[in-house]
Amino acid sequence: MTEQEILIVDDVSKTFQVKAGEVKAVDHASFAARHGSVTTIVGPSGSGKTTLLYVIGSLEKPESGRIEVAGRDILAPGADLVSYRRENIGFVFQFFNLVPTLTALENVMLPMDLDGIPPAEQRRRATELLEKMGVEGRLLKAHPNKMSGGENQRVAIARSLANDPDIILADEPTGNLDTATGRVVVEILTGLARKEGKCVLMVTHDESILEVSDRAFHMTDGILGEIAA
Amino acid sequence: MRSFHRGFRSFRRNYARNIVVVVLLFVCLTFSMSMLAVKLAADNQVNTIKQEVGNYGEIEISSAYQLKQFQAERTKTAAERQAEARSMSTAQEQANRVADLVPETLTDQFAKDNYVKTYDKVLQTNVTLSDITNTSIQQLFQIRQGDSGGPGGTSSNTNSFTFAGNTDGSAASDFTTGAKKLVSGKQFTYSDYQNANPVVVIEKNLASDNKLTVGDTIEAQISGGSGSQSYVQLKVIGIYETVQAQTQSGSSSGGGGGGSSQSFNPTGNTFYAPLSVVQKLNATPGYVQLGSYYFDSVDDTAALKVTFKKETVTTSSKYQFATDLSDYQTIADPLLKARNTSMIGLAGALGACALIILLAMVIIISGRTRELGILKAIGSTDRQVISQFAFEVVCICLVAIILAMGATALIGQSLGNWILPKTTKTATTQTQTQAQGGPPGMTGGPGTQNKLYKEGTSFNAAASTQKTQAAKLNVVYRGPLFLYGILILLGLSLLGMAIPLVWITRLRPARVLSME
Ligand SMILES: Nc1ncnc2c1ncn2[C@@H]1O[C@H](COP(=O)(O)OP(=O)(O)OP(=O)(O)O)[C@@H](O)[C@H]1O
Ligand SMILES: [Mg+2]
Repeated sequence: MTEQEILIVDDVSKTFQVKAGEVKAVDHASFAARHGSVTTIVGPSGSGKTTLLYVIGSLEKPESGRIEVAGRDILAPGADLVSYRRENIGFVFQFFNLVPTLTALENVMLPMDLDGIPPAEQRRRATELLEKMGVEGRLLKAHPNKMSGGENQRVAIARSLANDPDIILADEPTGNLDTATGRVVVEILTGLARKEGKCVLMVTHDESILEVSDRAFHMTDGILGEIAA
Repeated sequence: MRSFHRGFRSFRRNYARNIVVVVLLFVCLTFSMSMLAVKLAADNQVNTIKQEVGNYGEIEISSAYQLKQFQAERTKTAAERQAEARSMSTAQEQANRVADLVPETLTDQFAKDNYVKTYDKVLQTNVTLSDITNTSIQQLFQIRQGDSGGPGGTSSNTNSFTFAGNTDGSAASDFTTGAKKLVSGKQFTYSDYQNANPVVVIEKNLASDNKLTVGDTIEAQISGGSGSQSYVQLKVIGIYETVQAQTQSGSSSGGGGGGSSQSFNPTGNTFYAPLSVVQKLNATPGYVQLGSYYFDSVDDTAALKVTFKKETVTTSSKYQFATDLSDYQTIADPLLKARNTSMIGLAGALGACALIILLAMVIIISGRTRELGILKAIGSTDRQVISQFAFEVVCICLVAIILAMGATALIGQSLGNWILPKTTKTATTQTQTQAQGGPPGMTGGPGTQNKLYKEGTSFNAAASTQKTQAAKLNVVYRGPLFLYGILILLGLSLLGMAIPLVWITRLRPARVLSME
């Protein structure tokens, strides 16, 4: 854990060309986050929250601005985005996005496999991660369609941790869960920041999450504004 | 758990969908493979036929020339003919003697062509053996006394025997077809021919009738000669037996008396002697009835015909180069047609396979864009995703092709038969029309219309059985089929990969990950 900022978003803009004209999904957004911190972004539908996460996760390319992760400029020409996605970023989605043909265990092993880690090591670490998330026993061998939403999301979080990333990007991780399960998932995510020093960036509609976060932002029409604590 | 493992996993998990694709592919592949099997079998059989039929030809007096001579001869009366013979000078007589023979200079020259593999020369003639009798033939001639014998036929003489000469006794067609078989002594050899050794191989019954054994000597008269100089002592070196009765049918050879008398001679009073000896007896040194050639393949026929044309340009149409190309065509035609049909079937079925795999991949991939998005979002390279899908496609194609190979082994033959009979029928009718419509078989030994020396001096059953055999198509599993199977598998998989390839490289994960 360092005091240094692991994530720096500096004056980032992302515009989509649509038939009706342009949509400024992210409009000159700037913020920074440290290891072990929980940052929350709230805002109405269509305000650009997901787009901001994808820009940070390198899944969308902004037309201007600067993004630095662990001292690495990911927008620099020739940046190795594949290894960036593998090693620096862990994604958690609203709809879990697990691979349906793979078991819980295999889904968690998948990012390690892509990274060329030996199978035995993959298995050991995946089992350990899943156990930490409370997924054990027969569930390890269950396929996503045989598990509850909460269980799916635990597996998804375990998968996002597979390659021990610096940043967890969670896009409405509780959006598809009931309140109680959602609370558990939020606890897990905040726990990752508190206990393991991850930098957690969470998009949510759930105002209660604001209480557990270190910093909170509000997004309207692509413009990011900090909510005073 | 590498990419291929995930591909296999995904193949297994989506079995319901994959079974549909596999079944569709299986049907089309079975058809493809069967067509391929038919094509390979046909090719193989055609190649075998090419080594047996069609690579044979002979140089002989052309049938057109023979017909012209025959018609000129027919208009003359017997008296005219006798008068003509009396007034002939020795030179004219000799010219007359070789009029329907081929000069060896021509046959030898032709043998030098690069395509020619083996070369033989044949002369068959009638020789008077005053000491030898053939009882059966004597009786027959008494019955048929009224028949004076057609033009070009044998002179009706009970002491006249057929002498067949070539350069090597064991290469005589009657022996190579198995119609005749040596039972004691030996055959004359090429060196007997070169040295003009006066040796002869005679028939078993004739030998016992005349109390002749190997080592005995018989006296033969040189044609047209007189005095003590005109006799040659021939040493019997071998005795043969007739295995297969000559089956020349009386009805189809409506020609002259010579041909007819031959068909009444089942035992065969033919003597086999070195060509040089027969030439001497016939008083026609340097002339043969035909030159017989085997060449490398039926495909050389055209080239050889060109060579022949060049070499006979001065003699216009007196000689002809007859080949068994038409025999080859009769036998190979149904097979070639079946092969062409199977090629069309193969192309169609493979096209269908291609379409199926393409459509299947479109459906499979479009249903899995989210999975592609996930893989990319968590850091898959395009290559990793592609190899996973490649393996999935290969799995689908592999299962289908293995099943198809099995099914081909079961139905390949019936499919082959289904393609073949329709073409066989037309081929048979063609042969029949040809046989009926063609000119009547010319008399006077080998080398005449539709009957080549290699089939034996008389038509025998062997050639016709060969034809019926060849018209059957044996679709058996062969090594090349597996090779082609693997090629089809590879081609199909590569084609199937085209869709995922485009899809994967162009997919933007951000578009699909937020979808419900
Ligand atoms: N690929 C795209 N092409 C065009 N417009 C897009 C694209 N992706 C997003 N947008 C637009 O950008 C804006 C921001 O979308 P985004 O998904 O980031 O909103 P959001 O805040 O995540 O909304 P929600 O709360 O509903 O998830 C929206 O107006 C959306 O229509
Ligand atoms: Mg969103």
